[in-house]
Amino acid sequence: MKIVKLKEANLHSFLEEISKEADLWAPVKAAPDRYKFEFIQDLNKIDTDCTRTILPPRKILLPPSINMFQASEKEYKEDFSHVSKKIIFGIHPCDIHGILIMDDFFSHEFYDPYYMESRKNTLLLGHSCWPDENCLCKSTRTHIIKEGYDLFFSKLKERYIVWIGSSKGDDLIRTKANLFEEDISDKDIKEYAEWCDQREKAFQTEINFDALGDLMELMYNDPLWEELGNACLACGSCSNVCPTCNCYNVADRPALEKKYSDIKRCWDACTLESYSEVAGGENFRKKRADRLKLFYTHKFQAYISKYGKPACVGCGRCVATCPVDINVKTVGKSLDGEKVDAFWKRLSKEVTK
Amino acid sequence: MNNGKLKIGIYELTGCAGDALLILDCEKELLDIFKAVDIQSFLMASSDNRDGKLDIALVEGSVSTEREIEELKDIRERAEIVIAIGLCATVGGIQARFTDPNEWKKKYKEVYGDIEMTHTKPVQSKPIDAYIKVDYYLPGCPIGKEQFLDLFTRAVKGTLPERYPRPVCVTCKYNENDCLLNKGIPCLGPLTADGCGSICPNHNVPCFGCWGPVEGANLTSEYYLLKEKGFDIESIKKRMANYSGTKLIDFLKQFKKESK
Amino acid sequence: MKKISVDHLARVEGNGGISATIDGKVVSDVKFSIYEGPRLIEKLTIGLTPEEDVSMSPRICAICSLSHKNAVLRSMENALNIKIHPKSYLCRELMHMGEMVESHSLHTYYLSLPDYLGYPNAIAMASDFELEVKIALEMKHFANHIMKVLSGRYIHGENPIIGGFGTFPSRDELIFIKNRAIQFMPFVKKTVDLFCTLDYPDVPEKETIYACCEPGNSNYGFWGDEILLSTGEKFFRDDYQKLTNEFVVSHSYCKRSRYKGKPYSVGALARVNNLGERFKGETGKMYKKYFNKRWHVNPLFHNAAQALEISYCFERIPELVDEILKYEEDPKAVKYTAKSGKGTGLVEAPRGLLIHHHEITDGRVSLVDIITPTAQNAEDIERYCQIAAQKLLDSGKEDKIKERMELVVRAFDPCISCSAHMAEVTHTPSGSWKNKLEEIRKNSSPVYIGAGQQDRSDDACGIDIAQKLRGLGFKDVWLGSEIIRDDKLEGYTEKNTLVFFDAVDFNEKAGKITVLPLEYILTHSSISHKFVPFAASIKNLSLQKNAYVVGIQPDSVARGNKISPSVQKAVREILNHLRN
Repeated sequence: MKIVKLKEANLHSFLEEISKEADLWAPVKAAPDRYKFEFIQDLNKIDTDCTRTILPPRKILLPPSINMFQASEKEYKEDFSHVSKKIIFGIHPCDIHGILIMDDFFSHEFYDPYYMESRKNTLLLGHSCWPDENCLCKSTRTHIIKEGYDLFFSKLKERYIVWIGSSKGDDLIRTKANLFEEDISDKDIKEYAEWCDQREKAFQTEINFDALGDLMELMYNDPLWEELGNACLACGSCSNVCPTCNCYNVADRPALEKKYSDIKRCWDACTLESYSEVAGGENFRKKRADRLKLFYTHKFQAYISKYGKPACVGCGRCVATCPVDINVKTVGKSLDGEKVDAFWKRLSKEVTK
Repeated sequence: MNNGKLKIGIYELTGCAGDALLILDCEKELLDIFKAVDIQSFLMASSDNRDGKLDIALVEGSVSTEREIEELKDIRERAEIVIAIGLCATVGGIQARFTDPNEWKKKYKEVYGDIEMTHTKPVQSKPIDAYIKVDYYLPGCPIGKEQFLDLFTRAVKGTLPERYPRPVCVTCKYNENDCLLNKGIPCLGPLTADGCGSICPNHNVPCFGCWGPVEGANLTSEYYLLKEKGFDIESIKKRMANYSGTKLIDFLKQFKKESK
Repeated sequence: MKKISVDHLARVEGNGGISATIDGKVVSDVKFSIYEGPRLIEKLTIGLTPEEDVSMSPRICAICSLSHKNAVLRSMENALNIKIHPKSYLCRELMHMGEMVESHSLHTYYLSLPDYLGYPNAIAMASDFELEVKIALEMKHFANHIMKVLSGRYIHGENPIIGGFGTFPSRDELIFIKNRAIQFMPFVKKTVDLFCTLDYPDVPEKETIYACCEPGNSNYGFWGDEILLSTGEKFFRDDYQKLTNEFVVSHSYCKRSRYKGKPYSVGALARVNNLGERFKGETGKMYKKYFNKRWHVNPLFHNAAQALEISYCFERIPELVDEILKYEEDPKAVKYTAKSGKGTGLVEAPRGLLIHHHEITDGRVSLVDIITPTAQNAEDIERYCQIAAQKLLDSGKEDKIKERMELVVRAFDPCISCSAHMAEVTHTPSGSWKNKLEEIRKNSSPVYIGAGQQDRSDDACGIDIAQKLRGLGFKDVWLGSEIIRDDKLEGYTEKNTLVFFDAVDFNEKAGKITVLPLEYILTHSSISHKFVPFAASIKNLSLQKNAYVVGIQPDSVARGNKISPSVQKAVREILNHLRN
């Protein structure tokens, strides 16, 4: 692997150069307490100190609603208008892991051209980050990324160590090679090692993910699920913010004055009531508890048996989002026998009172 | 006129006329609508209205007078398909907030006194399905343009309109808003049907519930959540009732059952 | 009539109609009915928080939802003693401009212009008047855009909140609005030229009182803290009831207002009449070019006034954007601590003066009073329609009545769906006076008054009836001379109806009986003089509205003591009817 160095002051010149050939997406501060990935037209808006964004970067690859094709009685025309050359800058290790999980899922058994075309045209430029109280990525071992990115920017004082992870990443560096320095000094290495060391210690939450797959199976009929079901608002937010959720629904959008329909593909979420409804109005997961079981089986157990790793990258989005505290942290800890302080626990006491 | 086009009527009962206005606000699509179908009646847009057989009737507003009951029954008789559009037609609207007939009578008297109305007798506001069979529902206060065009197009093309059984939170997340409930702001997003584009949370304003309750809403959990955040019981109930119309009764039943 | 309570409000708009009843040569009844059901909005929000009220009360009307939003916010902020940041104030004005242009362009082009050009609707008009329809669409679209940017959506936006806004528009959005407004100016001038030069008929024309907000500082504008009348009088916002005096009529769920017993008008024409001299720039020039005396008396000029206001808005929008851009920081909504208070908010909705009054007790809404423009215009709508109908009947153009009344109603722009409703003209069968008298007796306690002169043959018939009624043991019977001389009407309330008997010359067959509201007689120039003293003696305003004249066509009113046989027959018929 090749490693180069970039002065922080030169970052914008580099980004400006590479954004000539592709749409640049990066995290911005959308409000004082909120970050999101945006298509960048003004480099000054990029916020490299950001914590997690509200939606994960998978929205850049597959937005909440895309048009798959136009169909008439005679023919159909595929629509790949959501695909364009893109560069995602500022993506954290957990989110890169999230995209790698999506890659696994959509490139083998269920090959999905709408995802894969978008993905093949997208370069990932990672950025180092610092954990907050909701970050669980150390437990999921996704806090460090070794492959899968095109470039990775590790921030040191006033400079970056830039890891080149692919030949496409290398091509990017070459578009403005004069901005980069090749010699990494001892001082750089020392500073980087210290930073890594301190970061490891900064994680505040640990969950034993290795045990969760088995526990999920063992506790499938535990009263815990009823407690969770009683509190769940069925808002679907946990699924929508999850970097590895990939379910979708397909719907027709006929055009009034024309003889064709647009066939749309929209995000769906297994935690929503309508998700398990089938033709005829039958719903085989009408209970919230059953839907939550499906979600957590998927995250903690099913993926491990299929891909050898959990479908949780520890990004902490569900922890930050769920208003009733149903998230991988409280559910995981409860499965593991730990006591947790969460709204759903308190509600359960209130209702049985 | 017999040109193979579907005959459509758009009717307004008691309400703010916002749904009919929203149809007029589909500026770019309006000409297409008028081209694609034969608009038999649309008082807000035209003075040339007829009372014949209809393929589809869109009805907005609640039923609030005896005259409207008759009018509605007549529409039902003439129309193959009746679609309730807007909060007032689907759940009764804000004017259906008094679920107790005695309370309604009392308030009515406070406003109008004992005067006898000569033109038409008042009745307590109800959604249109209190009097006729309704084929499809399109909620919203007012209805959303996209949902309307989608339903209208599907109805015209003879396919089943979609249902919208999701809460506001879904679109709110797509719009990348921070959850207001987590900030202690009494947002009704999880209880409310989606379709507005989560406009209130987009502007840092909590959802007031103007699309009416969503199927499968978890009232009990939201109720205790707000209580824990310091809101008193009465104010939570009132807030939940504002836009729920007659559905409030079902709400309260669920609540009674679950809170015991 | 029975008791009328003071708290109230039903929404207008939606279902409504206008009807005139013709009895021979007289228009005996004109009713502007609103079939819209009662919604009791003012009761719905009692007990809610101010924030919830601010969300709910604009649901009164979709077309004026932002006017209601501005009015309820002004009222609440007065009640809770909140001073909003200048940027919020300016953004609310910009938002209001959006609604004004949206509503006016919709009304002028879509709803009124087809009348003057002879089409059932704007879509049908589009093939022949493509440019006009396109201008209207573009203007409305732009206005909708302004409302969406400021309020959150086209209809019932929730971004304006107590103390300011949830979020403010970005600089780019504001500059777009400014530039687009400037681009529109050539079309705006075309609009004013078009609507100020339409051939407005001269029936009906009649003086009225115009009321609007006083924007202050000699500016034109759409809100203020005072009400200004065309008589020059002014009221502070909290004294709004001095103007409005609302009451209920039995043919509408929309309450009515009169000022000192007289109908008055609000809306674009009222504003231009009261404030037009204050227009500046291009609008000022066009005002000077087009405004004339007919604008004072002819309600059809509402459309012309609306066009001038569109121009005012398009000139004001760029100024507003420049002023807003001076404030870079977005102010947070002002927090308040007050738990109780009273406040009133005055706003000019597109259709005219809109008043919201709120009382807050312990953080909850405890009293609401909302007075909508259509509630205030309803009386003048009926009056102008009656004048138009009578004038057209007099000149033998009965076939024009229906169309003209529709034109008048629509000019007032009461609410778009009811203004597009059909008008109805009916002839009453002979003997309908009995039904009317029955209706009066059924709904209230009548007070009978015999008017006329003893020594002028048939003119004595009213006095004759009154004396005979007394003879039959009827209570509450007076002679005209008694009520003018003494204050005999004191003590009667809105539960009573005054019924005058008199000989009235309708140019009919002798002995024909016609029942008319007293007010119609007053607008009937040939016979009004006799009743002016009676009208003046009625101090109670609701009684003035509840007064009827049972008129008998005389054969002769020459000096003499004999009542003619045909009139004697009529007297007997009336007495027989009342006795049963």
